[in-house]
Amino acid sequence: MVKKVAKRVSRQKRLLAASLALAVSCTLVGVSHADGALPELEINAAKAELGKRLFFDKRISGDAAISCATCHMPENGYSTNEALSPGYPGNGHFRNSIGLINTAHKKTWLHDGRLGTNLNDVTREMITEDYIMNMDMRIMQERVKQDPKYIEMFEAAGYGEPSNGSVRKAIPEYLKTLTSRGAPYDTGSMSDSAKAGEVVFNEKGCASCHSGALFTDGKAHNTGVPENFDVFLDPMNHQAFIAFTMFQGVENYMALKRDPGAYVQWKKADGSNMGTFMTPSLRELTQTAPYMHNGMLASLGDVVEFYNNGGGEDSNKDSAMQSLEMTNQEKADLVAFLESLSGEALTGPEHVWTEAYPEEYPVIEDWVNQAN
Amino acid sequence: MSILKQQSLPSLLAATLVVGSVAGFGSVAIAGSAAPVLEPLDSISMPIPPDNKQTDAKIALGKQLFFDPRLGGDASISCSSCHDPEQGWAWAEDFSRGYPGTVHWRNSQTIINSQYMGRQFWAGAAASGEKQAPSAAKGGVAGNGENDIMEARLALIPEYVTAFNEVFGDEWPLIGNAWRAIASYERTLVQTDTPLDNFLKGDASALSEEQVRGKAVFEGKGGCISCHNGALATNEEYVNIGVPPNVRWQEDGLAQITFRFEQYAKGQTEEGYRHAKSDWGLYYRTKNKWDRSKFRVPSLRYTMYTAPYMHNGVFYTLEEVVDFYDAGGMDSEGRTTLFPENKDARIQPLGLSDDEKADLITFLEAFSGEEMIIDKPSLPEYKALFTEAELKEVKK
Repeated sequence: MVKKVAKRVSRQKRLLAASLALAVSCTLVGVSHADGALPELEINAAKAELGKRLFFDKRISGDAAISCATCHMPENGYSTNEALSPGYPGNGHFRNSIGLINTAHKKTWLHDGRLGTNLNDVTREMITEDYIMNMDMRIMQERVKQDPKYIEMFEAAGYGEPSNGSVRKAIPEYLKTLTSRGAPYDTGSMSDSAKAGEVVFNEKGCASCHSGALFTDGKAHNTGVPENFDVFLDPMNHQAFIAFTMFQGVENYMALKRDPGAYVQWKKADGSNMGTFMTPSLRELTQTAPYMHNGMLASLGDVVEFYNNGGGEDSNKDSAMQSLEMTNQEKADLVAFLESLSGEALTGPEHVWTEAYPEEYPVIEDWVNQAN
Repeated sequence: MSILKQQSLPSLLAATLVVGSVAGFGSVAIAGSAAPVLEPLDSISMPIPPDNKQTDAKIALGKQLFFDPRLGGDASISCSSCHDPEQGWAWAEDFSRGYPGTVHWRNSQTIINSQYMGRQFWAGAAASGEKQAPSAAKGGVAGNGENDIMEARLALIPEYVTAFNEVFGDEWPLIGNAWRAIASYERTLVQTDTPLDNFLKGDASALSEEQVRGKAVFEGKGGCISCHNGALATNEEYVNIGVPPNVRWQEDGLAQITFRFEQYAKGQTEEGYRHAKSDWGLYYRTKNKWDRSKFRVPSLRYTMYTAPYMHNGVFYTLEEVVDFYDAGGMDSEGRTTLFPENKDARIQPLGLSDDEKADLITFLEAFSGEEMIIDKPSLPEYKALFTEAELKEVKK
């Protein structure tokens, strides 16, 4: 695993030179693909392999009915393919689960950015939150300890005896392996239309928020994305929304008819950060439709049209959101550029656990004489 | 007989003690103290907490909530899933069924008459029905629910919103009041007309001859009365009677998972977690080593419908239970508690004859009346809180 990452990076370095040359030829100041290279991540293969088995294991959820991959589907860029994530059995959800490719490169997580520490914390939140996986981690730990394959893998990973703490380390290690691979933008194989789209991207101001290696400024903005009424009209989704806003301490949550977004982070008294959401990465978009925090936009064409119209309606809308007056050609080129930021699907056995899990927990033999 | 009849009068409870000691009650009389006796259930009144008075509307709401699976983690199991009216308001396997993907580690106890008890759960971990209900609904191997999602669900069920408002004055249903309503409903689940009750109240024909003989064994040679006395047929003390660990922990991977989890969840030392091979019962509350594997003496009422028996359901028939006591607290294979030093000194081989055992078992059946089967309530449905028109009107 480590070796393969190193190889990919050296390929990126070669591409850097080409990118620089391109930037110069475009006569664009301050734009080069040198900014775009994702930094190398050191990956411990044994830990990542363990994390992979955990990521696809339904026994990691309360009633053993869903795994991380239920909402983060490999064939959909590790996001959900419907507008709203399915959530835990017995309830729905109120947001679109984010694609996890490159998540290890982020500094802040979730659409509202409420977790800014590390993926260990994000993993804990996803596993234990009642409307997501609803798992008592003490039970999870004992389930893991009941599977000899896990005991072997935790040992091989250097974690010793399985514990919920090391589950929360192993899954992030696996997530490091989900890094963009083969995007034309990185490989220097962008089409002419994509190249033209990159110019549009920069000239029309997309890059003011979608900047850096991940094409995100890591900040929350209000672009006026319309509410997804299914959040409120379907009681299964609405109950998850109510549970979430209640838990986050959002005042008057029963009357709330909009997603507060990053407001939950610092709850500005004037409400000016109501409906702000973290700028998403633009990498791997071709794999992760639908788009926006609530899946309201079905295609990249819709997204470009949304921005062309200056976004949606909201009194808190970012002033940078202005109508762009793009020609059809510019729109098409912009879509082509966005598509060039997407690489291969990570759906092979290198990334997806394919072995069957035991149907029953094997019994620990001679239990009376074994230390628990 | 006339003395027993007098004892059925609640106003004479104090006098009962005097009468009991004076009358002597044969072989079970203990010098200098009142001899324990059985009493009819309606000789005591249901304790009603002053902050949770019974009302018809509250009881009706509690009944719906008792059967509503939305008061659980994945909305698939309710209180009634493990306390099934058709399984004696309990669960007819050794361990309760548990949350999907788990199995419990203790036997599910019947709801019938449970609210007379001073404390709830096998080791008395909850002080009231109001405290027992959330503990079960939220426990990882029971309901696995969380307050916020369960409260959110109630808010989207208009019939509940109205009922919580009428009963508790809640603007939106508060989850704490759901437990109050459930406890109120459970306080209505009582059975006061068993053959034993009728007998104790003066109907000599309520027990058969065999049962009357069995009663003599119960109160005499069997010594059962020393713990199983009073109106509930329990003194509610915590006693280690020698029940062996359930062998299922040696044979069932899922049960092994829960066993270890419970050591965590109930509070154990590292040493205890590593080496416990049985349920330490009252120890988890007191952390006293002399409390290991002590459990509250269960009521004998309604037991005809609540097999299997004991905190871990190791005995599937009353015959096995009687044989266990007859052997001095040992099962048919000679297995007993892992803490024999804590075993109650009163548990000794009894030397009961086959006839005495048969009479005793027949008498135990007199603690149960008709099976209490009810029509399950219809459950109200979710409804969207807002209309699409209301959502469209929002000015953002």
